[in-house]
Amino acid sequence: MISRSAIAPHSRASEARLTKLGMPNLVLPIVTTHETAASPSSATPAWKRLPLFLAGGIALALCAAFSLALGTRQVPLATVVEALADGGTGRDAIVVTGLRLPRTLVGLAVGAALGVAGAVAQGITRNPLASPTTLGINAGAGFAVVTAIYALHVTKPADYLWFAFAGAAGAALFAQSIARRAGHLDPVRLALGGTVLTAVLASWTSAVMLASKRTLDEARFWLAGSLSGRTLDVLYPVLPTLLVGLALALAITPALNALSLGDDSAQALGVPVSRIRIAGGLAVVLLAGSAVAVAGPVAFVGLAAPHLVRLAVGSDHRLLVPGCFIAGPLLLLAADVLGRLVARPSELEVGIVTAFLGAPLLAVLARKAAR
Amino acid sequence: MTDTTTTRRVRMPRTGASPAPDHRRHRLLLLGTGVLAALFTLVTVSVTSGQVPMAASVALRALVGLGDPGDVLVVQEFRAPRMVAALIAGAGLATAGSVLQRLFRNPLASPDVMGVTGGASFGAVILLAAGASQSLIPAAALGGGLLAAALLGVFAWNSGLAVIRLVLVGLAVQAGLAAAVNLMVVRFPAELATSAMQWTTGSLYGRTWPEVWSAGGAVVLATACAFVLHRRLAVLDLGDDSAGTLGLNPSRARLQLLMTAVALASLAAALTGPVAFVALAVPHVVRFAAGPPTPATLGLTAATGAMLLLGSDLVVQHLLPVNGLPVGVITATVGAPWLLVLMLRQNSPVNRSNG
Repeated sequence: MISRSAIAPHSRASEARLTKLGMPNLVLPIVTTHETAASPSSATPAWKRLPLFLAGGIALALCAAFSLALGTRQVPLATVVEALADGGTGRDAIVVTGLRLPRTLVGLAVGAALGVAGAVAQGITRNPLASPTTLGINAGAGFAVVTAIYALHVTKPADYLWFAFAGAAGAALFAQSIARRAGHLDPVRLALGGTVLTAVLASWTSAVMLASKRTLDEARFWLAGSLSGRTLDVLYPVLPTLLVGLALALAITPALNALSLGDDSAQALGVPVSRIRIAGGLAVVLLAGSAVAVAGPVAFVGLAAPHLVRLAVGSDHRLLVPGCFIAGPLLLLAADVLGRLVARPSELEVGIVTAFLGAPLLAVLARKAAR
Repeated sequence: MTDTTTTRRVRMPRTGASPAPDHRRHRLLLLGTGVLAALFTLVTVSVTSGQVPMAASVALRALVGLGDPGDVLVVQEFRAPRMVAALIAGAGLATAGSVLQRLFRNPLASPDVMGVTGGASFGAVILLAAGASQSLIPAAALGGGLLAAALLGVFAWNSGLAVIRLVLVGLAVQAGLAAAVNLMVVRFPAELATSAMQWTTGSLYGRTWPEVWSAGGAVVLATACAFVLHRRLAVLDLGDDSAGTLGLNPSRARLQLLMTAVALASLAAALTGPVAFVALAVPHVVRFAAGPPTPATLGLTAATGAMLLLGSDLVVQHLLPVNGLPVGVITATVGAPWLLVLMLRQNSPVNRSNG
């Protein structure tokens, strides 16, 4: 791990560099996050974090169990276990294996993808406000789907899949091509260009929706982000992209640590900065693009999961990324279960509940963070 | 590395070590004149065009109350409020964005990130849900914005308003309020959902003088505050320790600046709804064009914001075949290429060594 004294001179160097670029005041927060977050964990070896990861894993397993058992129709846990073991034939068993098991698996995959994508996005842009949303992914998917509904009269969420993925990938790649500066990805431009693109696409989306009532009526449910009615058939097509993205994200975690020292220092340490940034961008596109294709734009998980995990394990990306792999689905599944319980017999969209649930959590934890 | 530095300096002179302050002043003057001329043109177009076309001289005379009473009525009662609302809100949003970006030292900071726009949409949508009259919506938007500011204060108020905590809490407040809006949009019947969408994208339709006077006057006051506080912003740029040494209480200065910016953004949102793009993009455009921030560039930022919003509103009103599109759609569409071109123009191969 990096000690605090090692960070300070490097960060000052990168600050000086950006000051030269005419952006004197855009650098400090990056340094601040990593410094505040790094200090507690810098003395702790990785294995001491093991109980924390175990606790996270247990909580996730509990959440998955609740997700299988709770809903409009309550199923006792014993029946759940029975149904999973030998695929029972009772009504309860059919609900569990036919509806809730696919939904839970989809939730796990989407949550993990969003959490990891968020950690990588914040790592490559070195900006705590960044998330997959910042790279234009959700806005691209939203615009593509709304246009498809408007022009092609597509009606089922399962049919939106490829439009959403194409829109997400297109927007994210465009954002990254804007950010290329003489062959390198500039982090400030990446974040800024992506945000600008998001604003434009979001406004076009609402323009299309305001122009056609039918589109608004169909798209608004998908745009809130939901897991309801998703089967495993939706998950299979994006499974390869999910796995490749995950492998890519895990492979670059040590390099992300070097990147957080500033580009110059990372280069001096022998890290191929621009290649790492491009690989990271690609991982975010694959992960978050698949997630939005399956569940619609769930904005908050990718933003909040890295912050929550950073508060617990510090800013070492080798711990942060796996931590987000657990925290992402934890946040998403908990929100999904809660959304099914509070509005019975109907349900609340998971994208809405994650924000309701995660926002106070983030606010309360932020109070602790800067102490 | 060294030759990079020199080229950079020549291109974008900086305040302190600037080798050519005259050049910079000259450029600012040129940009300022250009923006003011464009603003004047847009104002003229705005008062002349509409269902009753008028000659520019007639319309401008009618604006100050001279000429045919019919013309005076059309210009003063129907066209002027909307125009003034666009000018004031644009200037207010851009100033707020500029102050927030410097305060948080983050290029992505804007009233959207701090929850102000979420709050304004929330206020407006709540009122729509309650079925109250449309004329109350601006007040509700203002109330929502201030509610967001209050939440921000409650959560972030502790030991000196550290920047990172403010940003995190702002994100949380925005996400929570946006989720509330989203929830109502999903649960509303389709007609209400349409008006809710309209209000969450921002629109200038049907502004009246009382609204413009009350919210607009407050925006002007808050903008003046921002200019007065600008010096503190410059001191805060040196870092909290240096600011303290120079006799400035960093947390109090930060609170004053934050409250000014939030008030500006909420008031502007009360006039136009949360027009997202102006506050984010205009400060960047001005910085790319005019160099590092000074009070003069803050003025230029305000003027550019007013120009962007008024211009976009004219496009919505007169050029588009589709009726009732919110102005936010145009600000983003018109403003984005501008910012992107400025960003791409900085793409010089000299910087390869910076990797």
